[in-house]
Amino acid sequence: MISPVKIWRRQKEIRKVLGKKGKVLAWTKIYTPGSDFKKYAPYPVVLVELKNKEKIYGQLVDYKNADLKVGSEVISILRKVRSSTNEGVIAYGVKFKPL
Amino acid sequence: MTHIIGYYTTQFGELWEKSLFDLVEEAINGVLKQTSLSNKQIDAVFFGNMLAGVLENNLHSPSKIAEILKINIPIFRAEAACASGGAAFNLAKNYLDANSNKNVLVIGAEKMTDYSPEEAITALSAAASGEEQEAGLTFPGLYAMIANFYLEKYQYTEKNLAYVSVKNHYHGSLNEKAHFRKKISVEDVLKSPYVAYPLKVLDSSPISDGAAAVILTNNYDMIKKQKYSATVLASELITDTISLKERKNLDEILATKNAANMAFKKAKINRRDIGIAEVHDCFSIAEILAMEDLGFWKKGEGGKKIKEWGTMYGNGGDLIVNTSGGLKAAGHPVGATGIKQIGEIFLQLTKQAEKRQVKNVKYGLAHNVGGSGGTAVVTILGS
Repeated sequence: MISPVKIWRRQKEIRKVLGKKGKVLAWTKIYTPGSDFKKYAPYPVVLVELKNKEKIYGQLVDYKNADLKVGSEVISILRKVRSSTNEGVIAYGVKFKPL
Repeated sequence: MTHIIGYYTTQFGELWEKSLFDLVEEAINGVLKQTSLSNKQIDAVFFGNMLAGVLENNLHSPSKIAEILKINIPIFRAEAACASGGAAFNLAKNYLDANSNKNVLVIGAEKMTDYSPEEAITALSAAASGEEQEAGLTFPGLYAMIANFYLEKYQYTEKNLAYVSVKNHYHGSLNEKAHFRKKISVEDVLKSPYVAYPLKVLDSSPISDGAAAVILTNNYDMIKKQKYSATVLASELITDTISLKERKNLDEILATKNAANMAFKKAKINRRDIGIAEVHDCFSIAEILAMEDLGFWKKGEGGKKIKEWGTMYGNGGDLIVNTSGGLKAAGHPVGATGIKQIGEIFLQLTKQAEKRQVKNVKYGLAHNVGGSGGTAVVTILGS
């Protein structure tokens, strides 16, 4: 279950990985998501290797189909990542857009 | 040496009239009847289940099983996502290695179809890492990433994957307890809608209900009394990182590779001795990786090998894979799967597999995976 405290704790980590450039290592496009992601489907998810070799997952936004390939260059951005909790706290997280 | 002396499985499928513990009770009564054992002859129980806590707010299942069995003995629940059944079996085997002259009941069960697909998918995602969940990565999504990587690396297409499902649906048509009994074609698979690109509905195992149970014993008087028995030569469980991104190779399940190497070493047999295997085909790509990582095929060859139909029943191959229909056609009630796989090998080794009986098999292997490869259990049985 998602709690506001959990979102707060997580967001301290997220700011460390924003605005980082990297390359797509693997990708998929999700057509049947879980409940919290239903309104975003279908959406692509990429596994990205940053320049410092750290690996991060995120959805790809503002993309063209040609961006969906291994080796595409992307940058990490802050976006709302799932439907809001009952308490109304918005969960922000990492997504990527093509460079 | 530990022996399996009985196996029972409920029907797998959408069983709306039955609750989780209706299924558990049916499996318990079924396997006790088969082995002519009474509840009082069971010394311990291991139960494989993943989702009752998440979906139904039902934990403390060992005590519920005590209520069904009407006995006061040690009962444990094992959870390792889709490898919960295999993990329960592994613990039961270790329990017997530490205690002589005991009979142990191992049950795996899952109730999944009371909920919408989105709810079931969310619950299953509990077995993925927090970051994977936050990115909206489902299990089909994680295996789809692996599939995409594999197809590109070894220059295959979605069609190569489709052969896995066609074979397993054919096997399912021969298994009365299977969720799906319908044969399908490569074209059917390719025409089915995407779940997570490049995996489609017919590349994916279904959401199913079901329960399966085996009885293990190391009591030699008991083994002698039984009509059927198979030897447990090895059962090895290995874990790896929960996150796919932390693994060195995206086209390999290291836990499978390591568990298989250990199991073959303990069983003191070779890959070519195995005549029958149940491998974890939660998605078509997973069977191809399993065949490679278990050491039956070379890395990267799977996409080509599967097209030869050599592992399909009736083609005279040396190794027949997923005669139960696999997770794809027999169904995938998560906690039950690992026990059903071992049960299918038991049926084959004791010549009770009826329409899908493979001739002259001496050794069989069951391979159960949790998550995207965070747990793997490899079990080897001998006749």
